[in-house]
Amino acid sequence: MSDTIDKPYRSKVTQTEIDQQPPDHAMPAKRETESVVVVEPPKGLSAKWLALLSGIACMLGFSLFEAVSFIEANFAASPIVTSVLAVILGVFVVSITTLTLGEVRGYRKVTKFIHRRPKLSDLADNDSRQATLQALKLHADQFASHSYARQCYKRFTGLLKADHNSAEIVAMYRQFVAEPVKVKASEVVKKESMASGSMAFISPNHLIQSLVIVWISMRTIKRVARVYGLRPATAGNWKLMKILAQNLAAQSIFDLATDEMTNQLSGSLAAKLMENSAEAVAAGALNVRLGKTLMRLLEEEK
Amino acid sequence: MRKLLNSVMNPVRRASDAGSAQFAQWFMQSTHRFTITGLSRSGKSMLFTSLMTILKYRSEQHYQCLPLLRYLPMDLVDKLWIEPLGDLPEFPVESHLSALENGQWPPATESVAGFQLIVRLRQTNQLKKYLLPFTDVVFEFIDYPGEWLTDLPMLDKTYTQWSDSAWAQQMNEPQSQFAKPWHSAVNDFDFEQPPTPDNIQLLVKAYRDYLLAAKAEGISMLQPGSFLIPGSGFDWLEYGFTPLPSRISSDQSSPWTQRFTHHYGVFQKQWLAGLKQNTFRETDKQIILIDLFEGLNHSKSHLYQLRETLSNLSQTFVYGNPGWMQRHLLKQRKIAKVAFVATKSDLLPASEHHNLLALLKDVTRGATAQLSDNEVQFEHFLVSAIQATDAGSNAQALRYVNPQGRYIEATFEPLPDSLKAMPADEHYPALPAGVPKDHLARMLNGNGLDRLLQYLLEE
Repeated sequence: MSDTIDKPYRSKVTQTEIDQQPPDHAMPAKRETESVVVVEPPKGLSAKWLALLSGIACMLGFSLFEAVSFIEANFAASPIVTSVLAVILGVFVVSITTLTLGEVRGYRKVTKFIHRRPKLSDLADNDSRQATLQALKLHADQFASHSYARQCYKRFTGLLKADHNSAEIVAMYRQFVAEPVKVKASEVVKKESMASGSMAFISPNHLIQSLVIVWISMRTIKRVARVYGLRPATAGNWKLMKILAQNLAAQSIFDLATDEMTNQLSGSLAAKLMENSAEAVAAGALNVRLGKTLMRLLEEEK
Repeated sequence: MRKLLNSVMNPVRRASDAGSAQFAQWFMQSTHRFTITGLSRSGKSMLFTSLMTILKYRSEQHYQCLPLLRYLPMDLVDKLWIEPLGDLPEFPVESHLSALENGQWPPATESVAGFQLIVRLRQTNQLKKYLLPFTDVVFEFIDYPGEWLTDLPMLDKTYTQWSDSAWAQQMNEPQSQFAKPWHSAVNDFDFEQPPTPDNIQLLVKAYRDYLLAAKAEGISMLQPGSFLIPGSGFDWLEYGFTPLPSRISSDQSSPWTQRFTHHYGVFQKQWLAGLKQNTFRETDKQIILIDLFEGLNHSKSHLYQLRETLSNLSQTFVYGNPGWMQRHLLKQRKIAKVAFVATKSDLLPASEHHNLLALLKDVTRGATAQLSDNEVQFEHFLVSAIQATDAGSNAQALRYVNPQGRYIEATFEPLPDSLKAMPADEHYPALPAGVPKDHLARMLNGNGLDRLLQYLLEE
């Protein structure tokens, strides 16, 4: 079918009727009001728990086996029990191998994540929008499914239009992915720092306090990494551990300083309260430092 | 005693109210006065309708529209409302939406309408939160028939100057194709007759027929365009005039020249002066809407004629960059930022948008040269108020539903990137896309408005 207007000019548009229905356009996505906590889908029994449980089972099994051996004194005469114990041992070996492989994979993934962060300012100057989109996609492919970063990236891709250039794409990426992820990570760090400060305040001695700080710091790393799309299991790699070590070293120096101050003020209750308060503030502040350093490590390359 | 107290307190209260209103206006309102200038059929009404709908759905229902509009972040928008603009009639957004619902495009504008769109933004700064809890961004929009716009340059001309320039334009391509009946009517007319109302009507009718025929064929420079609109406030039946051949117009003693000069003066004083003051009020930002498809649909000479029209129009407005003192204390307004916008960009495949943008720059060349002289910022944009088409089977194609409800695939040959590159014997027929059934979603998915608003709003 030709549906051109009758003109004394040659038409540069060819028109053909097609036997299809026009697609329905979807309404644009709505802005969600997400809660701060990033929800991970339930995964059932994790490999870590399986390893632990099967280890315990092995210990129990071998103990039982030894007991049975002792009673029966004949290994060949107990085929069922030995079979069961072999299976449990097998499960343990398999799970510990899976866990180890997961950690290796996680280490490589975090290294890749940190070394292949897009340099957004360079991408904005790129003349090829396709290349910019490809670079952002490569980075986003590392986001774990169901992570907050993945949700933001999905929303960002829904807003893209064919005529957006590289600078606009990068501006939108910053607005809809980088910034919201940063804000959420900051919220997590703030919350964790409050927890860290509170725990440090109520800790009765330095050993418990240090353990609590280690625990909260590890939790902070895990939660911040989750926001950025790194799976928690992969967050505890050497690079992140290095920041944690710095955190703890600084905390120890602060402990020495507060101890000295306490000695000077004698061991009164007020001095104890002051010591704990100062350490709580320091623990919170250092946790913020830990979180911010981690955020810088996971954000775009400057 | 109460009366006495009231007589003392009332003026104080009034002064206090006026003071707080003034305070709010000074410190809590950021007013952006836009003029959206567009020739007839450039898509002003659809743009207004779409803009109001998009902003409403964006702020009230949190749809992620206008992603590039960082000046009005969704997180900070508290509410949005519309207020009347002075004494102007309200913009009929509801009837336009009903028309879309019934599968019709909004009808052509035949009278002026205006509105203020106010977006209230929450304050993020901790200190300012208590002192100035919000900022209102006020947009002022005025819709008017595009035909009125082309009349504005007549304000600065005498009748003889206008008559001579109008004759000269009619002799050029493509106007000359449609002016033949009018020219023969003038040639056959006996100017020795006295200019009685009947004789004047005869001439005005023949001229108006020419204007209507030229309008139907895509000519944009039609003067006086106000004669074509029933809603115009000028009584052209009583005070009608036409351009006259130079042998008559140059003779100041001719009764025809004298009568038309008088009518022209009435047209300037009673109609144009008020129109410029009320409708084309002083603003600081201007959006010039251009329908390039109107020219592409017809011929290369139509596009040249469009370039000439835009150059003429740019001489009508006051451009410049007033300083803070002039803007805020002396209340002086000059257009300091201009956006040239090619509308209906969805009627072309995305792969050809860069050529359309280049063509837009070429068509506005005359106008931008004047802006550069005045050190006025300007930029070019492609906008579609509604995404009425779908992607085609290849990069050069797109699909649309025509008014008969048939789904058509249109494949475009590459668009020229300049007027010079366009062959004189070829054209790009405008696609008669109908209103899609899912028009709301397609309006919210419109293209380029965010980029345009961000450019105009950012400091």
